[in-house]
Amino acid sequence: MSGLIKDSPRGVLRSGWTGSVGDYVIAGGWACNGALLIVCDAAGGVFGFEGTSGVVRWKDPGIHKEGALAMAVHPGGSLFATSGQDGRVLIWNAEDGRVIHTLELGSGWVEHLAWSADGQWLAASISRRVHVYGVDGVESWRSEDHPSTVSAIAWAGSTELATACYGRVSFFNATSGELREKLEWKGSLVSMTLSSDGNIVACGSQDNSVHFWRRSTGEDSQMYGYPGKPSALAFDDTATLLATGGGESVTVWSFQGDGPEGTQPGVLKLHVLPITSLAFVHRGRRLASGARDGAVIVWSLQGDGDGSMAGAAFVGDVVAGLAWRPDDRGLAAFDAGGGVTVWRVGNR
Amino acid sequence: MSTQDKVPVTILTGFLGSGKTTLLNRILSEEHGKRIAVIENEYGEVGIDQALVINADEEIFEMSNGCICCTVRGDLIRVLGNLMKRRDKFDYVLVETTGLADPGPVAQTFFMDDEIREEFTLDGIVTLVDAAHIEQQLGRSDESTEQIAFADVLVLNKTDLVGTDGLDTLEARLRDMNRMARVVRSEKADIPVETVLNLSAFDLDQVLERRPTFLEPEYPFEWTGVYSLEPGRYELTLEEGPDPVMSLVVLADQGSDDAGLREGAEWCVRRYALTADAVEPGAEIPLETHVSLQLQSPGRKSFFLQVDAPVQVGLYAQHTAEEFDMKLLRADEGAEIPVAVERTWVAQHEHDDEVGSFAIEREGDVDPNRLNAWLSELLRERGVDIFRMKGFLSIAGDANRFVFQGVHMLFDGQPEKPWGDAPRLNQLVFIGRNLDEQTITSGFDACLV
Repeated sequence: MSGLIKDSPRGVLRSGWTGSVGDYVIAGGWACNGALLIVCDAAGGVFGFEGTSGVVRWKDPGIHKEGALAMAVHPGGSLFATSGQDGRVLIWNAEDGRVIHTLELGSGWVEHLAWSADGQWLAASISRRVHVYGVDGVESWRSEDHPSTVSAIAWAGSTELATACYGRVSFFNATSGELREKLEWKGSLVSMTLSSDGNIVACGSQDNSVHFWRRSTGEDSQMYGYPGKPSALAFDDTATLLATGGGESVTVWSFQGDGPEGTQPGVLKLHVLPITSLAFVHRGRRLASGARDGAVIVWSLQGDGDGSMAGAAFVGDVVAGLAWRPDDRGLAAFDAGGGVTVWRVGNR
Repeated sequence: MSTQDKVPVTILTGFLGSGKTTLLNRILSEEHGKRIAVIENEYGEVGIDQALVINADEEIFEMSNGCICCTVRGDLIRVLGNLMKRRDKFDYVLVETTGLADPGPVAQTFFMDDEIREEFTLDGIVTLVDAAHIEQQLGRSDESTEQIAFADVLVLNKTDLVGTDGLDTLEARLRDMNRMARVVRSEKADIPVETVLNLSAFDLDQVLERRPTFLEPEYPFEWTGVYSLEPGRYELTLEEGPDPVMSLVVLADQGSDDAGLREGAEWCVRRYALTADAVEPGAEIPLETHVSLQLQSPGRKSFFLQVDAPVQVGLYAQHTAEEFDMKLLRADEGAEIPVAVERTWVAQHEHDDEVGSFAIEREGDVDPNRLNAWLSELLRERGVDIFRMKGFLSIAGDANRFVFQGVHMLFDGQPEKPWGDAPRLNQLVFIGRNLDEQTITSGFDACLV
């Protein structure tokens, strides 16, 4: 990264503000239409930063005993949910940082949270089960035990929930509990992302590959050759581009035409340590990548997956997460040292 | 990140009832200076409040390629992956496996997963053995056999429930199966904590610093008897036996507990390495000296021992007392001195365990190309059955010692410090199932320059 100077963002990234929380950042996201940035940490703390100034509006430094594990902002932006090793899910009012609902799922780690796109349902996974709640905190359904710990969850439609575990992706009707589809693959699926229409399911696997399925046609493919485990995956809003980590390069597969089978992916090389986070803007083909090297890079991508650097900055510690502001004019990076960095993002 | 910055992880295995939880609680209550995180796979009773205890179900994940060395423990990847975000909260990790755990995937997890390898280092595998029940378990289950084969330390626990003879036989059998492991005996897992923590057993940088050999010594003596003696003159009598000579070292201030016996044995191994002084019948046996008792003449032979102050002595004999009907008597009145404690060190008969271990030791250099070809083929064809291997090599044309280790097909090797004036030699230790020692040895011999 010889071309980059610490503390001095380049290209489309402009200085914004920095803040800090108590420990390694577990997750972060924008609420209240970008007016508030929610961050939770490994010590179990939950913080609300003013979106423009970085001033802490409210905080609760140890609410999840033994540490937080996930955070998800409601699509409406005024609520969010957090979960932790304490086996609880909390639903919060973002504006004032007040807990509205406390849900006890049992003893175990609540590792994953996801709101349905229409904001009606909140899914949470604890060990081998998933629970689905309404916005009012009332449980509508809980699954039987999966064969192994649930490693990822995502909504495929307004009432359809996808879960990944060792060897399979399952699709449930989240209100009736009906198992709609089961996609099997003998491997430990460590990450999952769905295209916005719910048709394409991509999973990173422990054996350094990415497996994906097209549900409409029943086809599946396996992308081998990653030097590491692809734990970061992201689709763009049109489901044309799938960005994947799994090493120091960002590999971008294009679903244009008959692709990505038989095509060469875009390979974006600038990071010097493995990729930890990938995030597409809400609209368009800008991708942000973060890595263990402490660098955050914004890429401008083409339809074929290739791209070039549009901006870059250093945060000084392993990048733990990235979040684009809803208007895509701001980018937040969270790091292993508890640092929160927000940049303004220009057009060029 | 260097090994020094990584968090060490000790794996505790052993069948249900072997004393894992007792040992765990003992470590946690004694290690006041360390902040230890415990990952428990059985709902044990860790009774120590300050420890960070995480319960996780054992999840064994095989990969689509079907390769057994790619099989990992998904639960460990998940839990350790989360623990590493709280590095400031602990500096040691103990993983307690279920009784039925296969140690292979546990060990492989630390080699196969990049993120885990980056932050953690496997310090060692400690296997607890219920001395009273292990014989039955070994007959019945592959898991208990593999837990013994993978171990860096074997804790022979509940020794109070088994007689000394039974323990000696059992220890010899376990040593046959795993020549790399250090064996310690305990009644209620009451062993010093340092015998199980900070072993650096998988750390190639350190493993030869600590010990010049990967092999636990094969004792050159079969038997030790400990006697409490008052000042006076003693007579050691031997009847006719299987050998015309017998090596012996008499050690003063001999302890009678397990640790004392092992300490004495280590010391006597070095004495045995020296040339023995021949001692004829009727002569005096000097203390703490390697002697060769001359037993060629027919009938009973007597040797003498002078003791000036009350002392406990250990007789480290090449054969068991039984084989020569060896007795220690007061020289003046002829009263026999009872043996206070005795220990048999070497197996009295061959076991037919499928799992065993052997070593190859050769002087000289190996040809790197031939070695590479031979080792690749060996691991490809027999990797499933090779549980662990360790060794160092003298590679032709290379000034540095090459150290390596392996778990199944996984191979990890690196050049170590230069040979300098030391004699160049090779040592390889294999532990596995149905390994053909002769074929593997001749394969290696063909690699010698």
